[in-house]
Amino acid sequence: MPVLVVEDLVKTYPATRKAPAVEAVRGISFAVEAGETFGLLGPNGAGKSTTLGCITTLVRPTSGRVTVDGIDVVARAQDAKRLIAVVPQTRNLDRDLTVRELLVYHGRYFGLAAAERESRADRLLAEMQLTDKAGAKPLTLSGGMQQRAMIARALMHDPRVLLLDEPTTGLDPQARRMLWDTLASLQARGVTVILTTHYMEEADRLCSRLAIVDHGRILTLDTPAALKRALPGGQILDLSVRAAAAVEPALASIPGVLRIERVERSAEDEGLERLRLFIEPADGLLDRVFRAVRDGGGELKHVSLNAPSLEDVYIHLTGRELRE
Amino acid sequence: MTAFLALLRRDLLVAARNAPMLLTATLTQPILVVLVFGNILPRLGLVADEFRTVMVPGLMSITMLMAGVQGVLMPLAADLSGTREVDERILAPITIFGVALEKVVAGAIHSALAGLIALPAMMLLIHQVTGVAVRPNMIVLLPLVAACGMVAASFGLTLGTRFEPRFSGLLFAVVLGPLMLFGCAYYPYEALEVLGPVQYVFLLNPLVFMSEAMRLAVTPEVRHMPVPLMLGGLLGFGGLFLYTGARTFARRTIL
Repeated sequence: MPVLVVEDLVKTYPATRKAPAVEAVRGISFAVEAGETFGLLGPNGAGKSTTLGCITTLVRPTSGRVTVDGIDVVARAQDAKRLIAVVPQTRNLDRDLTVRELLVYHGRYFGLAAAERESRADRLLAEMQLTDKAGAKPLTLSGGMQQRAMIARALMHDPRVLLLDEPTTGLDPQARRMLWDTLASLQARGVTVILTTHYMEEADRLCSRLAIVDHGRILTLDTPAALKRALPGGQILDLSVRAAAAVEPALASIPGVLRIERVERSAEDEGLERLRLFIEPADGLLDRVFRAVRDGGGELKHVSLNAPSLEDVYIHLTGRELRE
Repeated sequence: MTAFLALLRRDLLVAARNAPMLLTATLTQPILVVLVFGNILPRLGLVADEFRTVMVPGLMSITMLMAGVQGVLMPLAADLSGTREVDERILAPITIFGVALEKVVAGAIHSALAGLIALPAMMLLIHQVTGVAVRPNMIVLLPLVAACGMVAASFGLTLGTRFEPRFSGLLFAVVLGPLMLFGCAYYPYEALEVLGPVQYVFLLNPLVFMSEAMRLAVTPEVRHMPVPLMLGGLLGFGGLFLYTGARTFARRTIL
């Protein structure tokens, strides 16, 4: 039985004097099994955080239903809140308490017995490598440490489901790797994790399944491997070509070449362009590609055959334009 | 209830750590006013001697109003700021009304303590400089101090959820300042008979009921407002502010 069920979730923020109504979520449904790490991947404004807000009771759904362990988060919010924990996008640690105090007080809010909350605070501080910062105020910690303190706080009441909203945004590469290790150890312990991200590598590495979300709807939902396999063609041929414009039409007409994307120009070598060919493997395809470049007066500098990444899937589904 | 008490405990811990600062903020105003109005002005013959005892309960109610409003307003500003520290409270197993009520109770404790510290300080000072003794009725005083604290803190919740922190300067100048001047702090409500029907306009000011409550408890010998009217005013304003404040709080925290 799934631990989290989201059914036909809709959230429309009503119009205000300054802004028109926003349909942030327009009918999202998914279910997460216990022990899974489920990802919501999508551009800014796709509806990821609003979906998370509805699950955590901080946003009231316009319609639809969310249940955690069978408990409706709107009708029985107080019971649902005991089962979930949230690591929000903004660092909202209680700035008036020390790191250890804020764990202990979180335990108090959830009614943990004294011995339990003290020992759990010490264990989590050690696990998150914060023991030597136990007496520090949160605002004196680095971003990565604050993030780990928020995870420690979230785990204090032993939630069934841990929700993380863009957990690695703004972290340096070391802190990000450390957070991934932390999440991997939570997975190993069987904690159900739901996270939003717009980092492909993160989604690919951590999530057992993911939903790609855009404009308030789920575009696709599957394991990362299945999503990549489902990309048309299933393989990518990257070419670095001089005089690419001249050869592109010929390349496009080769059977087995499904789509051509122009990637960025090379900075060092003027005139050199990267073409990304989404191909269906076929006999003699490479030969025909080489011939088309040569006959069209182009010059091939570099070739590589690649498996599609999650980013290719993401861009294929959500488009290339910049979102603010 | 567990979450409510834990939140209250947290707020009192943080307030206790800031005690020296809060104490200074609480006591400076009433002590200076007592010095000026209780000693300097009567000696210059500019105010009547009776004014010394009339102003003690009034200064106490002003102190409590300021402490109660600030005790809710300041933490609320941090809570509702961009970092949304309030979310941790809302995610605790407690209703949104519970979270709002806890803030008010913490503010009320702050306000009551401020009043109860300011009163003996003023009594001592006034006795030292003028020899006048103030004898409060302790049995009446404590419940009324608690009630006034709740009114002041509920008012703080209403103001704090409606005004952005950047307008707090304006708030003190335009809202709290006039309330204090027209709050029957420096004159008893009953003496306003001389104004005719205008007297009733003062009943729109919650501080009037707080001042009259303190007047009843601290200087029972001075004429004061009828008790049912005073209690009705405290209850009415307290309930109104708590209801509107908690509603706006819910609207601003749950999207």
